[in-house]
Amino acid sequence: MEVMDIRPLLAPVVSFACAGMVFFYGSNRHWRHFWMLSAAITKMVIVLSMLPGSLRGTVYYYDVIDFTGGVGLGFRADALGMFFSLVSATLWVITTIYAIGYMGGDEKRIRFFGFFALCVSSTVGIAFANNLLTLFLFYEMLTICTYPLVIHKETPEALRAGRKYLAYTLIGGAFILIGSVMTLDAVGTLNLDRPGILNATVDPGSLALIFFLLIAGFGVKAAIMPIHGWLPTAMVAPTPVSALLHAVAVVKVGAFGILRTVYNVFGVDLLGDLGYTTPLAWLAAFTIIAASTIAIFQGNLKRRLAYSTISQLSYIVLGAAVLTPFAATAAIAHIANQAFAKITMFFVAGAIERTTGKTEIRELDGIGHRMPWTMGAFTVASLSFTGFPLFAGFITKWYLCLGSLEAGQWWFLGVMVASSLLNAAYFLPIVYLAFFKPLPHHEGRRDEESPRIHEARPSLLIPTLLCAAYVIVLGASADVPGMPFSLAKAAVQFVFGM
Amino acid sequence: MTVDIAWHNIYYLASVVLFCIGLYVIIAKDNLIKKFLGLNIMHTSVFMFIIALSAVDEGHAPIMVEGAVAPFANPLPQALVLTGIVVAVSTTALALSLIIRIYRHCDTIEANELRELE
Amino acid sequence: MENWPHWLVLVVMAPLVGAAVVPALSLRNRALAPWIALAVMSVTSLAALMLLVRVAREGLFSYVPGGWEVPYGIELRFDEFSAVIGIICLIGWLAVLFSVRYVEHMPNVVPDRIPYYYALLLLNMGGMIGFSVTGDLFNFFIFLEILSLSGYALVAISGERIAEMAAFKYLLMGAISSLSVLFAVGFIYGMTGTLNMADAASRLAGLDGSPAAPAVALGLMTVGFMVKAAIFPLHVWLPDAHAIAPSPVSAVLSGLVVKVGIIGVIRVQQIYQDSGVVDLAILNQLFVWLGAISIVVGAFFAIFQEDIKLMLAYSTISNIGYIVMGLGLASTYGVIGGSVHVFNHALIKAALFFAAGALIYRTGYRTLTDLRGVGKSMPLTCAALSIGAISIVGIPPTAGFLCKWYIALGAFEADQPFFGFALIFGALFIFIYYIRMVNAFYFLPPVRSEVVDAKEAPLSMLIPTLSLAALCLIMGLAGRIPLSFIEPAVMRLLNGAGG
Repeated sequence: MEVMDIRPLLAPVVSFACAGMVFFYGSNRHWRHFWMLSAAITKMVIVLSMLPGSLRGTVYYYDVIDFTGGVGLGFRADALGMFFSLVSATLWVITTIYAIGYMGGDEKRIRFFGFFALCVSSTVGIAFANNLLTLFLFYEMLTICTYPLVIHKETPEALRAGRKYLAYTLIGGAFILIGSVMTLDAVGTLNLDRPGILNATVDPGSLALIFFLLIAGFGVKAAIMPIHGWLPTAMVAPTPVSALLHAVAVVKVGAFGILRTVYNVFGVDLLGDLGYTTPLAWLAAFTIIAASTIAIFQGNLKRRLAYSTISQLSYIVLGAAVLTPFAATAAIAHIANQAFAKITMFFVAGAIERTTGKTEIRELDGIGHRMPWTMGAFTVASLSFTGFPLFAGFITKWYLCLGSLEAGQWWFLGVMVASSLLNAAYFLPIVYLAFFKPLPHHEGRRDEESPRIHEARPSLLIPTLLCAAYVIVLGASADVPGMPFSLAKAAVQFVFGM
Repeated sequence: MTVDIAWHNIYYLASVVLFCIGLYVIIAKDNLIKKFLGLNIMHTSVFMFIIALSAVDEGHAPIMVEGAVAPFANPLPQALVLTGIVVAVSTTALALSLIIRIYRHCDTIEANELRELE
Repeated sequence: MENWPHWLVLVVMAPLVGAAVVPALSLRNRALAPWIALAVMSVTSLAALMLLVRVAREGLFSYVPGGWEVPYGIELRFDEFSAVIGIICLIGWLAVLFSVRYVEHMPNVVPDRIPYYYALLLLNMGGMIGFSVTGDLFNFFIFLEILSLSGYALVAISGERIAEMAAFKYLLMGAISSLSVLFAVGFIYGMTGTLNMADAASRLAGLDGSPAAPAVALGLMTVGFMVKAAIFPLHVWLPDAHAIAPSPVSAVLSGLVVKVGIIGVIRVQQIYQDSGVVDLAILNQLFVWLGAISIVVGAFFAIFQEDIKLMLAYSTISNIGYIVMGLGLASTYGVIGGSVHVFNHALIKAALFFAAGALIYRTGYRTLTDLRGVGKSMPLTCAALSIGAISIVGIPPTAGFLCKWYIALGAFEADQPFFGFALIFGALFIFIYYIRMVNAFYFLPPVRSEVVDAKEAPLSMLIPTLSLAALCLIMGLAGRIPLSFIEPAVMRLLNGAGG
């Protein structure tokens, strides 16, 4: 059932308005925090209010304006979009609390919070985009609005990272634009409201080119190798930005775009006939293994997390490329699973940095004794990535394995197993260091037996714990009705016409 | 025969030749005054071309006085050229004033020397 | 009210008469000059608005001053392409307003001559408006000369060190191109015996004999207008002239005057398309290529400029490339994109030049290095500049994006996908410069104390700058309005029915 409703439009508008408020009335700390939090919660409420309807199969849509004569600005909250927006709306609330704690004394915080809100606005815009043009619009907006966040520190290194980020993503944007134009030229519509708008009557050369352009364009943000270079460099940004970049907004938008390309632009049937996804699947498999391997050798905590992100994102790409219902479920669910686990880890990294000033992994000996809750959260996230049952990551891996078998491509099982081992190899040593090694002697201990507990401040700790808890909830009760997972299933049913 | 056609079109040919001479002067000469003289040559060539269009065999000047006899030359191109001359004069005036100001500022009106000054 | 037939004469005559009246009326008190000019522009704008309403209601209409029948009388024709006078009036009005404070502070300005500056500006407007609405070939030339001559003088007036030199270069190229147009007008008159455009088109169609002579006329016209439009390789006069002119004049020159060349090309195409005497396919293909080269060359040179106004001037070359490419593609979307960009680029470029002018006015500096950190001291101006930059690069939902979208669509529609790629990647190229600019304004440490202490621009500058920047955004979202407006004219142009 399709219902015209303004809520899909309101969701991005709330963050947009919030950005305006922060820019114009943000100099007072209390008002700024009030605007940020109230907008985040309002948006959460808007998205949640659509959830019951969405679970019943209702699709809310709102066409704003047809600004090109044919294709316009339109929003549509289908199951896939709802899933993604739910993840980003939830994480916006949590990240806002964290960012308020983290950015406390920073003199450029008005700019920071303003663009932060704009980023979230574009993310939800992408989630609810009704057509490729709207998607592209918000995609570019996201690129532009992330730039001031990446170069927040204004050091030469940050500016270099910003330039690299823009170069990669703008070229990616140009690819998407050309792909969209070609699609419109070929079939006369860009709407994402059905399982596949392209069809076999379009000439095969164009189809191949469109597929390449769209996947490459979105792939830049999804950091598929070899076009991932911007992501580790962008680590110079403040931690909440990294969290936003890596878990919610930027990279997920890329992955989401790939899902839209595969499921709504081409459609699984057409792609099944064309077979373009096979090389994509292999590329994703390669990225999973290669990025994990590189991650092992990173000494800086945030850089290790960055490479882990690259690896994890390709799970989504792989799930999309396998083209079976189970794999698709895994791909969609992993948007949430990876987001919550990875953001936990970034919060931990930020909390450690803010509390103790440590950024390198070798400095983390015994940190678990001082910050047990923080490191506990980290452990939860690590276990999730390793694919431990009852944690969110397990759901992805389980469904992805089922999907590979369903497609008869058992070699991806090998990739899964290898990846889990690699994940264990680069995350568990950190947990080991933190809990089982003693703190270095010169650091604050009252006596040999009981090191002084010195946790991060509550505004950093509480969001971290919330995220970690949610990782367990997502994993342990995935199939409970009303959980986001059922949205993922609904999306899959729509895509595969079940 | 060929000579005849050429003779018949002598004004047109001459105007094209003049047009090219003017263009050559503008491009090849460095002195700004010469450049702008080249421009005047071009102006003249175009006016001649348009005037030539008004020619009518055995035609008289189109001045309606007592005892004027048809056929008359076409008056319209002549009116056009009058207007065109006004435009050319304004262009000349503006160009000359610019050259004077350039000379006051830079003490030269040779384009190659001016380029070095820039 | 919009059916009063004399609006069409008024819109041409008001600025021309105003140009004569402004210096006379402000002899006693020269502070009056800008306000009289503003009043004249207001009257003109009102007339233009009426004409726009009428053309939107009933399409093409014409007016014959003095009651002389077409084709003997001089005809004024108003079609959808003439609607460009709307933007001419808007930007002209804002440019006059912007000049109020700006002109007083130009280097080497003689206060008593300031009224003549407004006279020249009004002459320029009148020339452009007349050029856009005339249906007569010779008038076409006359208006072209009015606007060109006033344009040369306006460049020379700025008082910058090499202003006269730039103006002279502009004058030479401009005069040659005008002569080339006049030569072609003579040719067409010689062949058809008429100066009325529509009449010439139908008589050209009835012409027997070789198409060589019409082709020569077409070539001369096209070359002439290509110089005016600054299409590569005939663009060499543009960067200096546009960068050196006073900023409000730069906005007019870059936003409007180069478009005159484009309108000229459209008019000539109308004549030849209707007559069908020369196959335009080769010319169109040439346009597409030159457009693509202009895009890349303009963007490329822009990257290396330190001076913001010089950079904006090069970006004009690039944007004219878009327009010419769109027209040359000769597919529905391509031509629509090109025509809409005539409007949108005028908005964007004027906003950018106004903003740059405000920065120069307040700080006295014009290079990126000197202007570092100005984003903090002049936030509104810099915000307008950023919006303009985003718009000209073609990020949705701004005005610049629409044109890029249409022209790219037109390239695929015309089965020339290569140009779609060239267009979109060319736009990325120019992004590099704007990132440098934004970095310098917002994110790099300041080097000049004057820049840090600069005050926000005065209201007479902020209003034009901000309103145009806002229009850049609005026109991006309301993109269907110009589209549906221009579509019938484009269809007529492409199908050659009734010009």
